[in-house]
Amino acid sequence: MATSAPLASLGQIERELAYYRRECNDLGARLLRLQEEQSQAFREARRSRTVAKLIREAYRLADMHMTAEEIGASLLEVIVENALCDGAALLLQDQLDEGSFRVVHAIGPVATPTIRLAMPPGFFFTTARSVLEPQAYALTSILGLPYILWAYDRSTGHALILGNRSESNVSRPYEPGDQELIEGALSVYIDVLLRKRAETELRAAKAAAERASEARARFLATLTHELRTPLTAIIGFSEMMLPGSRYSLTQSNVERYAGHIQDGGKHLLALIDGILDYSSLEQALPRLSPQWVPAQAVLTETASLVAGLARTRDVAVEILPAEQPVAVFIDPLRFRQVLQNLLGNAVKFTPAGSAVELSVTQGLAGGAVFTVRDQGIGMRPEDIPRALEPFQQLDGSQGRKLGGVGLGLPIAKGLAEAHGGNLSLESAPGEGTTARVTLPAERVREQNCP
Amino acid sequence: MFDAHAATPAQASGTIRLGYGRHADPRIAIRQCIAAMGATRPAMMLAFCGGRHEPQAVQAALHDEFGPVPVYGGSAAGVIGRDGFGYGGFEIGLIAMEDPALAPQAVVTRSLLADARAAGEELGQAVAALAADGAAVLLLFDSVASGSPPRLHHASRIVEGFHIGARNKPVCLFGGGLLTDMNLSDGWVFDGAGIAKHAAIALVFPPTVAAETVIMHGCRPVSAFMEITRIQGAEVYELDGRPALQVIEAMLGLPLGGSRGQELSLVATLGQKQGDPFAPHDENAYVNRLILRANPATGSVTLFEPDFAEGDRVQIMSRDNRLMLDSVEHGVADANRRLVGPDSLLALYIDCAGRASARSGASIEEAEVIRHGLDPRVPFLGFYSGVEIAPFANHPSRPLDWTGVLAVLRRRS
Repeated sequence: MATSAPLASLGQIERELAYYRRECNDLGARLLRLQEEQSQAFREARRSRTVAKLIREAYRLADMHMTAEEIGASLLEVIVENALCDGAALLLQDQLDEGSFRVVHAIGPVATPTIRLAMPPGFFFTTARSVLEPQAYALTSILGLPYILWAYDRSTGHALILGNRSESNVSRPYEPGDQELIEGALSVYIDVLLRKRAETELRAAKAAAERASEARARFLATLTHELRTPLTAIIGFSEMMLPGSRYSLTQSNVERYAGHIQDGGKHLLALIDGILDYSSLEQALPRLSPQWVPAQAVLTETASLVAGLARTRDVAVEILPAEQPVAVFIDPLRFRQVLQNLLGNAVKFTPAGSAVELSVTQGLAGGAVFTVRDQGIGMRPEDIPRALEPFQQLDGSQGRKLGGVGLGLPIAKGLAEAHGGNLSLESAPGEGTTARVTLPAERVREQNCP
Repeated sequence: MFDAHAATPAQASGTIRLGYGRHADPRIAIRQCIAAMGATRPAMMLAFCGGRHEPQAVQAALHDEFGPVPVYGGSAAGVIGRDGFGYGGFEIGLIAMEDPALAPQAVVTRSLLADARAAGEELGQAVAALAADGAAVLLLFDSVASGSPPRLHHASRIVEGFHIGARNKPVCLFGGGLLTDMNLSDGWVFDGAGIAKHAAIALVFPPTVAAETVIMHGCRPVSAFMEITRIQGAEVYELDGRPALQVIEAMLGLPLGGSRGQELSLVATLGQKQGDPFAPHDENAYVNRLILRANPATGSVTLFEPDFAEGDRVQIMSRDNRLMLDSVEHGVADANRRLVGPDSLLALYIDCAGRASARSGASIEEAEVIRHGLDPRVPFLGFYSGVEIAPFANHPSRPLDWTGVLAVLRRRS
């Protein structure tokens, strides 16, 4: 048959075509799956690399001049960039209320800046298949995003949350395998944060130690001078007074020199008392013997203690009348020492012909405020913290000229604190200084009460 | 960063200056750009901003740094610069055009939401009135009509309208869709006056500037030809008379219902071969359409663009990361050979966001290949886009998916 051969060929060609089509599609499908598997593997590998990248970036940030607080925002940026999520936040647990968490850094909107979680989970995630139970509801409410990944570190109270709007494309559904990512990121943050804080504390401690060392060196120099001057006088005058001395002293000379020796001895005793006082304050709080005393009487007694010095320096000490007489529960000896140190300083640094004011008023919340105000040389506000540290004399020459080794204010501060109060200074150069000692309400009552 | 006219890497002087910055604070990111650009007084600016930046904050920072200069551009799923690249959302890329004689004129429409085709037509008419024959026209538009559910402003409708409005005036139309991120969450546009949603801008370059493009691909066919037997807009219901989703699921060996439906855009595309279907394989012959989502209820898949029709013969295409990287290497070599020269002003790379490693799973970022491979004498900036537009296969420009379009602007001799 002339036509059968071409027809058979056509059928064969059609079968052959169908075969190739089928093979093409099968091979194509396999290729497609292989390609997808390969892409999936690369995406997974990329996710794993994210933690490594985070660690690298975090330590790079840690080496930069950032504060511990600034680290959080920068690290969150790195986390979001690498995890490709729609929002993220770092949270901190309330130290007093363990169920309460506050957002401290965020990228993207924060819907609920503070949340309560009865039992904060260490790791948590939501997907389209998650049941919206209370915990999931609370956690998804933080960023206002339905799909979240959460990690919480119980020992430090820090938590990290990432969120996505959808579960498609780059934002694939979260899964248990993401625990490595979120916990890795959180632990890197905590590690860097603690490291940065430790660095800051170390730097502060080093600076404090250096300041203390400098202060002690200054103190030793001052102490040497303070000891040497009266000792030289004592030795010199006593040598002159010794039997067989080459000096022929009159009775009047002997009396005068004996007076100098006594003054020198008293000065040395005062110096040693000051050192012992401060030393005892540094070791432990002093044991107080408190009793109720009229506040106004404390002022009067203190004023009488510095009356001699005030007279010598031609400085008036004015006690302002109290609006409401109160009694205070203090150790009279120790508290007078506080006011005496302040008043003594005020008199020393106030020019002749001026006055120093001494007063007591009722403070906020029922406490009492003792105020010593002078019109002296004053000091810069930034020098005040240093003035309250031991062995510090802001103007060495002036301090030495007027005596003292820089312990008066630290002792006063320590004793005020031992009474449950505090000492604060307000000052400006050329305008004088106001020192305030506060006592808490429980140490103050109306004077007429028994 | 390089001066267009300098042989050494510098931006000491020039007509176009570029900067790339990345920081959560847009002011700092912009200052990083300025550090690369040097002192400049631009006549106009192009700005591409990572989607995590508040557009108002970026606009304010640009105004503070550059004064009342008109700014065009908008959101980008990422930015690619000589100094770095990224798609975390904190990037900013700036192009400062200093020479007013080279700066383009802008035409703007804010009507994409109402009717993308009509908006395109409006743009086309305005461009035709401004543009010289063969003019370079950069089209940038907000890609996202709605984020949830995802719905796009179809580039094919805009471009179709553009050609109608321009009465097929010969211009070199290139550009891309603007996105805030790879999840197609949102998009916005700097339209010269402010920030606009559902807007498109056409920047018409003067006759002294010419543009040429190189298209980088990355897909290969993995099926025999199939006929689209039922389609409505971007919704493909049937291939060869079978539910389209069923056909693709059989190929993948995976059920694509539920949330996985949207992952299809990570896996496969539909490709239409232009010209002789039985000619040897040529990646440049294919127009690919990404799959926006799978719809198990209807057995259909939604494409990024609605420009396929019933009776069209298509193939299922697999993204091939190796092919993508090879394509970029070849494309860059081609650009260096053909397009780069002393008259080159700017190379702008419009790169499909899906090609980024985070989404494609490519072991090497193709952006790295281009930023390191392109001749360093050419000022270069790129952005990750939703769709790319370029002249295709000697035909008028059309939107493309899964491509990288490298457009080189040159002084016309």
